[in-house]
Amino acid sequence: MRFRRFWVLLISLAGCCTPLLGQDSLSVKGSLGDTLMLGHSTVTARSREQKLREGAFAVGALNIRLQASTLQSLTQAIDKTAGIRIREEGGVGSDFDLSINGMSGNSIRYFLDGMPLDAKGSGMTLANLPVNIIERVEIYKGVIPASFGSDALGGAVNIVTNRRTRNYLDFSYGIGSFHTHKADFSAQYTGRKTGLVIKPVISASYSKNDYIMRDVKVRNEERTAFVIKDLPRFHDDYLSLFGQLEAGVQDRSWADDFFVSVSVSKIDKDIQTGATQDHVIGMADRHTKSISASARYEKAGFLTEGLHLLASVSQTWDHSQTCDTTYRMYYWDGSYIDGGKSEIRGRGKTLRHYHRPMTVVRTSLDYRLAPGHELALNYLLNRAGNRQEDAWDKDFNPTDDVLFKHVLGLSYDQSLLSGRLNNTFFVKDYINHLKIGQDELSSITGSDQAKGSSTNNYLGGGLGSRFLFLEELAVKGSYEHSVRLPISRELLGNGSTIYANVALKPEISDNFNLGLFGTFDLGGGHAISYEANGFVRLVDNYIRATIYETEGMMQYVNEAAVHIKGVDGEIRYDWAGKLHVAVNASYDDNRDMRKYTQSGDLSVTYRNRTPNRPWAYANAEAAYTFRNVGLRDSRLRLSADYQYVHWFYLTWEAFGSASSKSKVPTQHITNASLLYSWHGGRYNVSLECTNLFNALAFDNYRLQKPGRAFFLKFRLFL
Amino acid sequence: MKELKKLLVLAIAMISMMSMTVCCVDPIPEPEPEPEPVVKDYNFDLFVCAVKHGGMSKNKNGTYVRSVPALTADQPRVEFTGKGIDITEDYTLESITRGKYYYQVPQRATGGFVKFHIERNAAGEERIVEDAEVPFKDNVYSARKYTHAWIGDSTSLVIVGTADKATKIIWSKLSESNLAVQSEGTFDIKLPEGFNAFSTAGLLTYRKSDKKLYYFYLTKREAGQSDAATSVTHIAVIDPATMKVESDTDVPSAVMEETAGSAYGELMQSMIMYDEADNMYVAGMITVNDQEMGILRRIPAGSKTFDSSWNGFPNPEGKLLTVQYLGNGKALSYSRDEALGTKIDSKSHFYSIINLANGSRERVKYNGADLQYCGGRFSQRSVVVNDKAYIGVGGEVEGEAEATYPTIYIYDCKTGAVEKGVELSKGFCFDIIRAMDVE
Repeated sequence: MRFRRFWVLLISLAGCCTPLLGQDSLSVKGSLGDTLMLGHSTVTARSREQKLREGAFAVGALNIRLQASTLQSLTQAIDKTAGIRIREEGGVGSDFDLSINGMSGNSIRYFLDGMPLDAKGSGMTLANLPVNIIERVEIYKGVIPASFGSDALGGAVNIVTNRRTRNYLDFSYGIGSFHTHKADFSAQYTGRKTGLVIKPVISASYSKNDYIMRDVKVRNEERTAFVIKDLPRFHDDYLSLFGQLEAGVQDRSWADDFFVSVSVSKIDKDIQTGATQDHVIGMADRHTKSISASARYEKAGFLTEGLHLLASVSQTWDHSQTCDTTYRMYYWDGSYIDGGKSEIRGRGKTLRHYHRPMTVVRTSLDYRLAPGHELALNYLLNRAGNRQEDAWDKDFNPTDDVLFKHVLGLSYDQSLLSGRLNNTFFVKDYINHLKIGQDELSSITGSDQAKGSSTNNYLGGGLGSRFLFLEELAVKGSYEHSVRLPISRELLGNGSTIYANVALKPEISDNFNLGLFGTFDLGGGHAISYEANGFVRLVDNYIRATIYETEGMMQYVNEAAVHIKGVDGEIRYDWAGKLHVAVNASYDDNRDMRKYTQSGDLSVTYRNRTPNRPWAYANAEAAYTFRNVGLRDSRLRLSADYQYVHWFYLTWEAFGSASSKSKVPTQHITNASLLYSWHGGRYNVSLECTNLFNALAFDNYRLQKPGRAFFLKFRLFL
Repeated sequence: MKELKKLLVLAIAMISMMSMTVCCVDPIPEPEPEPEPVVKDYNFDLFVCAVKHGGMSKNKNGTYVRSVPALTADQPRVEFTGKGIDITEDYTLESITRGKYYYQVPQRATGGFVKFHIERNAAGEERIVEDAEVPFKDNVYSARKYTHAWIGDSTSLVIVGTADKATKIIWSKLSESNLAVQSEGTFDIKLPEGFNAFSTAGLLTYRKSDKKLYYFYLTKREAGQSDAATSVTHIAVIDPATMKVESDTDVPSAVMEETAGSAYGELMQSMIMYDEADNMYVAGMITVNDQEMGILRRIPAGSKTFDSSWNGFPNPEGKLLTVQYLGNGKALSYSRDEALGTKIDSKSHFYSIINLANGSRERVKYNGADLQYCGGRFSQRSVVVNDKAYIGVGGEVEGEAEATYPTIYIYDCKTGAVEKGVELSKGFCFDIIRAMDVE
């Protein structure tokens, strides 16, 4: 009985509770269920995030809307999710690498409302998307629904933007340590007569990132010896501007949704270090500009009843420029020697221009065969160009590379036993067409081996199933044979710190997930939920980043075979939407399973743990919300969280004595924040302190992260 | 009768005197035994890489070093699992060595030179101890990309590299003891018309008999890798006191198109050697039937140019990669048979003994069989000390899954006998043996 009541409530509330409740009525991120207080009655329903987590796929889901008043960036929130680890290279705007259940960041695909995030420009990432416009983030672990039409291997991150139906205005401004400023503006206006919906978004962030680098080597006054000092970063300015205007109509006879949008972005980034902080850079920088135009059409009952069409198209013009035109060798105190080598590459001067036009077409047709049975056909076209020219180096031959991807997916979803059993089956076809024009540094980039055109076809597929035994116990499992085509950054480099490797092969993986989850309603508003997942990833041609320390450059290479096995789990406790405690932990065992080298020898790294990646980490958070503190309709939320990342070796762990090996040390990071909202969430002020105890922290080898930092944010939501 | 007696007495007296005279003559000296050669103690530092051979920064899987007191067969197998030093992130495989010290521009790009040594603690565990680290002064060098020579009584170290997209040749003179930069400059060497770059580093050597530095460098049409046929080799003779270029001579392409290496000096591979008379030998390349082949040329003592009539590596099977003088007119070569593969890891590399008197050579044999072919284009698995050449042979056998153990073979320079030495653990790419002094 209790089970049936729950689902009746769920169905009735799923569609309406969010707009009903407004901004802050739902419980905090990762909450057990959304708690709606109706007089003396307490009604619990599942949030969209909870429903996603309880689907057939292994999914992490975050409600960002509830955190938007405190968050600086999406990466902050995502990094605290079970099985997820984000490795940042530095401060605001720094490059980062996201891993899901042990699969490295580039095995992960990013989507914004189902469209590849790249379509907003190569500079737009999780780190600089304006958080105010985001409703939630869905993180698919290992097995990705065919609806994304993606070739992701390790997982996918789908960022879902607000779909508010009423007009609003949302503005925030934040100021923080290291000369950090961030302002976001978004709004929605619907013309009463025309029904035209207009949604502008403007976002700007800037930081000098001049945090203190501890224990760095600089020359003494006589410049005859090194001394150790703590010094601020001096060439790490970051400026990000993003603007978007979306206009369209909703709920017409010919369209449920039809929107066109134009967005522009501009990223200016000084480059402070190479792949390690020993390589200090003082002049080189990177600039990126993008313009994107897109259209989206959605219609239920398209042509026939039961057929749902979603079609999107986008064209992006992306131009980035890496300026490496100084023969200098810098030290951390800003002094330098006029050496004879360029800063980034250690070779000749370059002023490299990259034109990376991108075309994305996505079509999804869903057909409801019968209640509980749906068939979906998806197609994704992604064309990425990479035209390079050099305004300084006259010896550089301009190149034009093109990467074409077609991904076709067919899926069948069924819901049986009154929804207690959900199954999904899917097949995908991946077609990769590559045209390589570049020939620079062919011995490093492999362009001499891969020059010309090539087309390859790969097949994949999988299934997922979830069975709900009880409210307190459900089980789900999923499997996918997936193919991940290298992205342009891996194949073609980034023009500054990453060499191309055009000989990279696609990753191919068999991904398995098995999970348990459930919720215990303890009464009196107390509830505990849990989830535990085990996963296996059997990967061929695993793509791994390596470092050329001397030149401070990176390059992606294939590892012939890697097996990843692991577990992650999370326990959440919630009391009446006031107290929220969550703990999660993740462990994976990532082994090189290539038995023989290319020449047939027994590989010495066979069964060794893959180096330079975190494999054990945990998060804990606690938050308490006081209501009506000082002002009526106000809310005071105090929260703290702790992140632990176990140390890991930079190189193969088996070889050399432990004392001689380079390690990325254990991290203990504690953050705290305070949010005060009043007037029903209309006004919000938050103060956040990251790295409260000023711990020396590294995500990457010899790339120090910022120390203690404060961020004060004001948000107005009308 | 009386006369007879007198004669007899006289005869006896004379015989007696003669015998006395003979007794007083110094005895004929016994031939002095040859002095026993001084046998120095060395530590042998063995460098291996995982998965692929190192050198030229080609290895991305780690570089490990063990320091062992001997390489004879009675020593325990040299293991790297959980033992030795992982130098991957801090130091380069390529290095200058002298005595017990290493000198280099380290892998970690801190902007200077470093001097260190390897020591073992009581438990036999090795560790690196840094003895000095100094910043660059005005000339900046990249790790690996320089050449060097010791001058004077080896109290000064000269480093030479290139700058400005390899259009300038820079030098620095460092003190051996503390690496202090004593002087620096740029050689007065200009690129000829039509040529846009020098070789990355070139090869620098110091000849004791005339107290001159010899700098072998290439001029190329463009920076980076070059085709031997389109580059030109030059020999600059430099006064080490003033660092002035005294002469600069082009080498005819028929004599040598390129030196055996020009990007990384002799930081790893030995390409120049001297005999007892201070004749200088240089390993190089020429094009034969559109293929780069090895050649060994000689600059006779007293001369500053190659003797074009002399070639110590005739009828080559492929590139000549390293040469080391063994004494008594013999040298150890490491070369490649092009027909067996030209990749860095191709098992096509082998050792030979060259008779410099007539240019003949014979592969090094053990128990009558040739030492096996090895991988490692950029390897220096041989070292010559105490009249013995220690030769490392990689354990790889192409196409066979179960490799044999990499093994050291010990060649007796005097007798030519070869004995088997210590083994190394399987699976690693064996790249360098360095003999380091023991204090």
